[in-house]
Amino acid sequence: MLELLASIERDAGRCSAIHALDARVKLIMSVAVIVAAVAYPYTVSVYWLGLLFGAFFIVLWAASRLSPRTYLRRFLMVLPFGFFLIVLQIFFENPHYESFSPIRILPFGITVYAESVEFASILMVKFLVCISFIILLSSTTPVQDLLGGARRLGLPSIMVLSLGMMVRYLFVFAGMYDRVSAALAARSFHPLDADLPYRYRIRTLGYTMGMFFLRSFEQGERTYACMLSRCYGADYFDSLPPKPLTGQDLSALISSTLVVVAGSVACWVLTA
Amino acid sequence: MHIPDAFLPIGQAIVYWIIALVFFALALRWANRELNEARIPLVAVLAAGIFALQAFNLPIAMGTSGHLVGGALAAIVLGSPYGAVFILTLVLIIQGFIFGDGGITVMGANIINMGVIGGFVGFYSYQGLKAAFGSPYMSAGIAAWLACVIPALAASVELFFAGTFPLVPGLIAMGTYHAVIGVIEGAITAIALYLIATVRPDILAMPAGAVAS
Repeated sequence: MLELLASIERDAGRCSAIHALDARVKLIMSVAVIVAAVAYPYTVSVYWLGLLFGAFFIVLWAASRLSPRTYLRRFLMVLPFGFFLIVLQIFFENPHYESFSPIRILPFGITVYAESVEFASILMVKFLVCISFIILLSSTTPVQDLLGGARRLGLPSIMVLSLGMMVRYLFVFAGMYDRVSAALAARSFHPLDADLPYRYRIRTLGYTMGMFFLRSFEQGERTYACMLSRCYGADYFDSLPPKPLTGQDLSALISSTLVVVAGSVACWVLTA
Repeated sequence: MHIPDAFLPIGQAIVYWIIALVFFALALRWANRELNEARIPLVAVLAAGIFALQAFNLPIAMGTSGHLVGGALAAIVLGSPYGAVFILTLVLIIQGFIFGDGGITVMGANIINMGVIGGFVGFYSYQGLKAAFGSPYMSAGIAAWLACVIPALAASVELFFAGTFPLVPGLIAMGTYHAVIGVIEGAITAIALYLIATVRPDILAMPAGAVAS
């Protein structure tokens, strides 16, 4: 995941019309799409909303000049737990329906219901929309810009400071993790190696994590002392300089709000 | 254990957000009171550490794996359950907004599960067990196990109320899975606490042998 963070930051540092938008605009737009997708009723008309938001996403992703492979790679990393919950839906009677039509009966009395398959597909559409816009947001906005935008939108400065420090330390951890992994590999240790006693593996992992934490903390203390000497202190985010939105930002904000609000209402009215 | 977006209806998600915001406000008050220049690196490193620990997949059985939660460790090291709420909120914000792990509308529920329930269960069960049995490391291990299993059960109850997962299979699946992960989390929390108490006892808000008054 730490390598992924570095690659996300590389993608976010590129140049495009989407990258150039203010972080606040992208933050508001992404949250608006996600809230609209989640708030939409669990009905099949969500397919139309999914199509609309999907098309909107494709336009934005194309404008960001990022490769579709970048999206797919990130999407596949996010997928497992949500996909697992979605797939399991088809085997259960869902409280959102009153009657159920079995479409396949499997061994051990497991039944697949048409309504449950429909519900799973509705969840899948919503889940896809939400994940896609998070990938878009983080792939086009460096973390520090995102934090600055969040601060200007009212996130408390102590949170922004801690988040900023946390992200910096993640990169410290990444370097530490590489060194610790190399040290473990050099000693032929792998936590999934079934030939090693389980207690030994857990004890080694515990010591490794404790040492990992302590070494990172000490490195973090030194890093923070250096940052303090460069005027980066606890009050650094208390008063960020004002950053008015440009005309491009405002038009992006207004047009995306229109797409989200008008699109959701239109889907509901036209298909209900 | 991270509930993804769309798995809770928006009405329920708002309720969880409101509850989470109450605890978040208390955690923020704790942070403003406790976080001086000297403590900020600790909180940030703990948050980054828990983030990294959650990225470590641990072996369970039959090729499956799971990750740690870290709420108990955060609460014990910082000497307050609000420390865990604060730190897990930081972790969930980065996971949700950068990685899409968890979600935005469901973040309130995830903060309640891992930060509030994990932090409070971890901290107070650690305090209670330590007062009863005396061993801080065994207490930390059991507390971490509880702080792993109970939030997982809470997540299955929330998914049941949302109508996105049946109660009994959810409790069995999440409970069993996290009961196993919890053993690993307990062992690693105990060992990590032992290492910190031995090598850098100044980091701990309360000495490992002390009980909160």
